[in-house]
Amino acid sequence: MGKFFKLIYNEEIKLYIRKSTWIMYIVLAGLIIGIAALTNTFDQGKNYTSDNWRTELQKENKALQKDTEDYIKETNPDEDDFYVNMNQEEMDRNNYYLEHDIQPQNYGAWQFTSDNAGLLSVVSLLTIIVAAGTVANEFRWGTIKLLLIRPISRSVILLSKYVSVLLFALITLVFVLALSLISGGMFFGFEDSLQTVVTSHGELQQTSLVTETLSSYGYQIVNLIMMTTFAFMISVLFRNSALAIGIAIFLMLSGNSIVGFFQDRAWAKYILFANTDLQQYTTGSPLMEGMTMQFSITVLIVYYIIFIALSWIMFTKRDVAGF
Amino acid sequence: MAEFAMELIHTKKRIGQKEIIKGLSFQIKKGEVFGFIGPNGAGKTTTIRMMVGLMNITSGDILIQGNSIKTKFKEAIKEVGAIVENPEMYPFMTGWQNLMHYARMSSDVTKERVHEVVALVGLEKAINQKVGRYSLGMRQRLGIAQALLSYPSILILDEPTNGLDPAGIREIRQYIRRIAEEEQVSVIISSHLLSEIEMMCDRIGIIKNGELITIESVRAAVGESEKEKELLMMQVEAAPIDKAINLLQAKHSIKAVREEKMLVFQTEKENVPSIIKTLVEQDIAIYQAGVAKKSLEDKFFDLIGENTIG
Ligand SMILES: Nc1ncnc2c1ncn2[C@@H]1O[C@H](COP(=O)(O)OP(=O)(O)O)[C@@H](O)[C@H]1O
Ligand SMILES: [Mg+2]
Repeated sequence: MGKFFKLIYNEEIKLYIRKSTWIMYIVLAGLIIGIAALTNTFDQGKNYTSDNWRTELQKENKALQKDTEDYIKETNPDEDDFYVNMNQEEMDRNNYYLEHDIQPQNYGAWQFTSDNAGLLSVVSLLTIIVAAGTVANEFRWGTIKLLLIRPISRSVILLSKYVSVLLFALITLVFVLALSLISGGMFFGFEDSLQTVVTSHGELQQTSLVTETLSSYGYQIVNLIMMTTFAFMISVLFRNSALAIGIAIFLMLSGNSIVGFFQDRAWAKYILFANTDLQQYTTGSPLMEGMTMQFSITVLIVYYIIFIALSWIMFTKRDVAGF
Repeated sequence: MAEFAMELIHTKKRIGQKEIIKGLSFQIKKGEVFGFIGPNGAGKTTTIRMMVGLMNITSGDILIQGNSIKTKFKEAIKEVGAIVENPEMYPFMTGWQNLMHYARMSSDVTKERVHEVVALVGLEKAINQKVGRYSLGMRQRLGIAQALLSYPSILILDEPTNGLDPAGIREIRQYIRRIAEEEQVSVIISSHLLSEIEMMCDRIGIIKNGELITIESVRAAVGESEKEKELLMMQVEAAPIDKAINLLQAKHSIKAVREEKMLVFQTEKENVPSIIKTLVEQDIAIYQAGVAKKSLEDKFFDLIGENTIG
């Protein structure tokens, strides 16, 4: 085994040997299976067959149309009402199926997995907890002293810890994907074909469910990596995991509000959270004027370099003192 | 090959405005057991943290087998095994898992070596228990095992007797002497209680308020018991006392300390007549002269007193 690989191995052992890590996975598994069971009970499940899907879709559209009209009569909403838009989108999608003569898919494991992309915020949360603990815990346990008196530079130790955190995120992500597919398959079965219709740059398009699933997970990974790296930095700076978890989770939850609050300032587009959602450029509605994909990626890279550089400087230069 | 196992060259440590270590210079010889003694807060742990690179050295340097811990960290630290302050290990892992964790961090440590160090500290029975359930003595031993893993030539133990009962202290003492002989290492062992470690040391360095007060040999090659009898802690009431202190320094190279009206110093028995003679010849009045019960007793410690860093 290579030396660096052994360091990673050490870190993963220290992580997975603890019960608290297993509890994380049990909670995740409970969430996924619970969501599958709930979806199964409450969603009556449309059942399209090759004979009836056209009439089914037309029936749905009629119902949606009526629903929208009733809603407008009752509440007299604005031009840009969320509920109206949602119904309209669904009708557009149904029309797309009809026009292009594509049979829509019944709900299945892949669709379920794709819908679970939101669970990535739970994965982010768990990774933040792990990232916040990896350095701070060694200080809390006092084992940092034994860790840093080996013939290995502090930079390499820090890198091994950082990579181990990312590895944890990857393992957890694969766990969510796999368990979603498995429990989706058990509750709903797998789709017959993987074709689906999505909105891209404001237009409906045909694509594969697998691509769609992976890309919706992929976009969220940006946020995961940024917040994880941030928590890692805070824990290196303050050597305190609770503080790092607190700040990182607070920012993660309030990120959008922060951006909203400062929206009309010129510098608002430089806020980290205005740039973490790269999907805003594929769906075609960027948060603020003048923002492009390149702009956001540049901002993200700058933040990332700052997080990593601060962590590295603080970890390699500072005294490991008793208090 | 470097002449000394370790060499401190005017090592200073300042934290904020406070100078905690005020220019320490001394050497650790190859294969010796060196006792590093001082009251709580004297700066033992701070010095040890600098020796192993946990703390930056404000000025001066520390050489380990000739390599500076500042500029040649990897080469220097390769020679060292250490416990700094408490023997902290991962409480949720077994003793064995803890040792394997550190074994993987050095390139030359095999499983056989891990078994070997476990046997050396006598932890075979408990090695598969979680460290969280270890007693302090067991953790201390596991700490020593960990420090020995990668065949160090210098073993640094910071207060290994702290918190142990007399039986535990006796055990540690035996291990350390045995390890020093079997593993051919220099041992630096710190304590705030002279009596707890003097018996296993070859030399003792005394530190107070971040300064080295004295270095004494306590144990020559001839053999422990014999040597111990010869080394006396003298108490002499003399006047004028300052002149007496200077005389001892000048004529006998003895560093004496003043304790109220008494002059306290340590010397070998055969030197006592000539010392008294020197004092008398130089018109120093001697009112009483005596020997403290044991060689380097706690008494010596009373005289050094507590730290006055404020
Ligand atoms: N990180 C620190 N910041 C400020 N003062 C410190 C720090 N670490 C130690 N000290 C001070 O340095 C002195 C020496 O401490 P230490 O080396 O722990 O002594 P010892 O190990 O001999 O008991 C003490 O007065 C302590 O208060
Ligand atoms: Mg100490």
